[in-house]
Amino acid sequence: MIASNDTDALTAMLLARGLEAVLSRRADCGFQLLSGGQEAVAVGVACALLPKDQLLCSGRSIAPALARGLDPGSVMAELIGRSSGPCLGRGGRGHLSQPSSGFFGAHAVVAGNLSIAAGVALAMQARGDGNIAVCLFGDGACGAGALHETMNIAALWRLPLLLVCDNNLYSVSTPRAAALAPQRLSDLAAPFAIEARTVDGMDVRVVRAAALELATRVRRGAGPAFLECISRRFASHSTSARETRQPQELAADRELDPITRLENALLSEGALSAHAAQALREQVRARVKAACAFAEASPLPVPHEAFADVG
Amino acid sequence: MLYKLLLPGPIADLSEVRVLEWHGSPGTQFHAGDLVVELDTHKAVVEMRASSHIVLRKILIEPGDWQRVGEPLAIVSDSADEPLPERAEDLAQASATYEMV
Amino acid sequence: MSVEVGNTSRVFFREAICRAVGETLDAEPNAILMGQDVGAFGGSYKEFYGLFERFGPARVRDTPVAESAMVGLGVGAAAAGVRTLVSITYMDFVLLALDPLVNYAAKARFKTGGQIRVPMVVKVTAGAKGQGVAHSQSLESWLMSVPGLQVVAPSNVADAYGLMRSALQADGPVVYVDHKRLFPTSGLLSTLPHEVPFGLAVVSRPGRNATIVTHSYMVSVALAACEQLAVDGIDCEVIDLRSLAPLDLDTICTSVSKTGVLVTLEEGQVVCGVGAEIACRVQARLGPVKVSRLGAVPAPVSSNPVLEAASLPDAARVADAVRHLTTEGK
Repeated sequence: MIASNDTDALTAMLLARGLEAVLSRRADCGFQLLSGGQEAVAVGVACALLPKDQLLCSGRSIAPALARGLDPGSVMAELIGRSSGPCLGRGGRGHLSQPSSGFFGAHAVVAGNLSIAAGVALAMQARGDGNIAVCLFGDGACGAGALHETMNIAALWRLPLLLVCDNNLYSVSTPRAAALAPQRLSDLAAPFAIEARTVDGMDVRVVRAAALELATRVRRGAGPAFLECISRRFASHSTSARETRQPQELAADRELDPITRLENALLSEGALSAHAAQALREQVRARVKAACAFAEASPLPVPHEAFADVG
Repeated sequence: MLYKLLLPGPIADLSEVRVLEWHGSPGTQFHAGDLVVELDTHKAVVEMRASSHIVLRKILIEPGDWQRVGEPLAIVSDSADEPLPERAEDLAQASATYEMV
Repeated sequence: MSVEVGNTSRVFFREAICRAVGETLDAEPNAILMGQDVGAFGGSYKEFYGLFERFGPARVRDTPVAESAMVGLGVGAAAAGVRTLVSITYMDFVLLALDPLVNYAAKARFKTGGQIRVPMVVKVTAGAKGQGVAHSQSLESWLMSVPGLQVVAPSNVADAYGLMRSALQADGPVVYVDHKRLFPTSGLLSTLPHEVPFGLAVVSRPGRNATIVTHSYMVSVALAACEQLAVDGIDCEVIDLRSLAPLDLDTICTSVSKTGVLVTLEEGQVVCGVGAEIACRVQARLGPVKVSRLGAVPAPVSSNPVLEAASLPDAARVADAVRHLTTEGK
């Protein structure tokens, strides 16, 4: 788990961006959903978590996993199907998971992790351990019955669950307005009297503050909360989905880059020197390089593992 | 006159009961409407009440024991001093009301 | 009627389930039972009677009508270390919960490389009993092919208790299938705690001329058919599967090797049914044998008593099928 200071937040976002950049250039990249542009949501939310909280997410799992503190080498190994990944190479990005690190993990079914997260919260409530479950999902999940069923039970039972909608404005090619009747997705929580916020998902400080505020409420037993973070997805939905947006829109999105934004803020506040910023980027580059080396040196699983740990 | 107290059949979906509790013992007098015995079934408890004045004379099925629907649970009579018969089976059926609760 | 034989007592089918569940809630301080009407109401079939009073609303939780979320919560809680029993009143509605059950619970251990286990039991009640097309189905064959999912189905009181005990000790997801027509039955149950292992069928009735392999309520239909067949001098062996996944092929093959005739009987559909799997596996091991698969007719099951009765296997139909197989070629 990363600390909540700005330098660490910048580093975490750079790490996600850097690892994904290297991954997407690899021949064995495979089918990936990248978090580029949405790093502030993953990192900001992760800042609000305590070591024994659990973070669950959708198939867009790389930034959340790294933000939660998973080792980049083992994450890369999992992404390229090596057996030294936390899921032994069997889950890949869609099911990346390491519960011992507070990352209950990804589930590739859209809206499929929501009731699971509520169940994790139920277990925490049963044990009275003061931990919370946080579930990241996209705008694409908001039309699913699973969200509404989950909010209803979570509210009724006052589960320690923080729902975070990373609204990047598109579900693959479908813009929000063509898929969802409500304009503001945090309004979906209103019928259940669930505390809800909508914030700028391109500003990690804003996300962090909102996540901390809501996580604290949830941890105190006030019941579930809903945080909508408006973000931008820099690339297409996945490595195999074609881009449908216009260059002007994509360029405008890039102007909101959360990494540039935080870095510029730190530079102008005098909290970070240009030299230190450069050093930070080099450290991240080195970590990504080491992660790749570790992953590449890891063996592929053996074929009979196709039948291992089935049940 | 002597009677056999039983849960008359056929009852849809019910073939056997378990006696839960007798609300009296041999010699107890019951008036119309009094709860005589509670029977457990697979779905609900059946309360059997006297529909006229009767005296409980002999309990045939003790609490916790089972009996088939239509088979005798106890011997009852109009008055306390009528001698008990050998077999309950040949007696007339006691009138009682049954309610699932 | 006898109450106790040795260390046994006669109980209703629902009481066997209740006892197993109560013992587990006692043994595991955080374990949770949830479902519609499982609390003060005591369960749709009164199978959880008294548990709410004993364990309270945090452990025995009424849920809204939302099977997908109910099972999802059960999956998540179990994955996070709190054993759950999710009760779905009608097996038909497990369909609403297939995503968390099949896409998460059955996959969790594999997809996480063993990091996550889901010790959850989903209890469903199958069977036709006058309640109509969407409240009558027996869908266990749909679930027995899911890797990572175990599926069990008791046919009597003792197995209802023993299989539930085992299900609630499993470290992966289990679908426990009981049946509407089993609840009116009673049987003897040992007063000592015990389990019935998965993957072990039993011979309910030994015989020499034919093997009837079946499960759940159809076991009693098979036994009734055997009475009819005995009159004709046909002596049938009945095997009660008890466990569909894992399936006890050894016991079935031992029987069919002896009798040479296999009749599979289920209340569900014959197409891609339990019997289809058994027939294939038996013949893969033993070579060709005389086989007949019996099940519901390929139609929805109406609540109309005439139509319902016409849709489902009964003792006469089973006896006819056995007679046909054992007498053809003679």
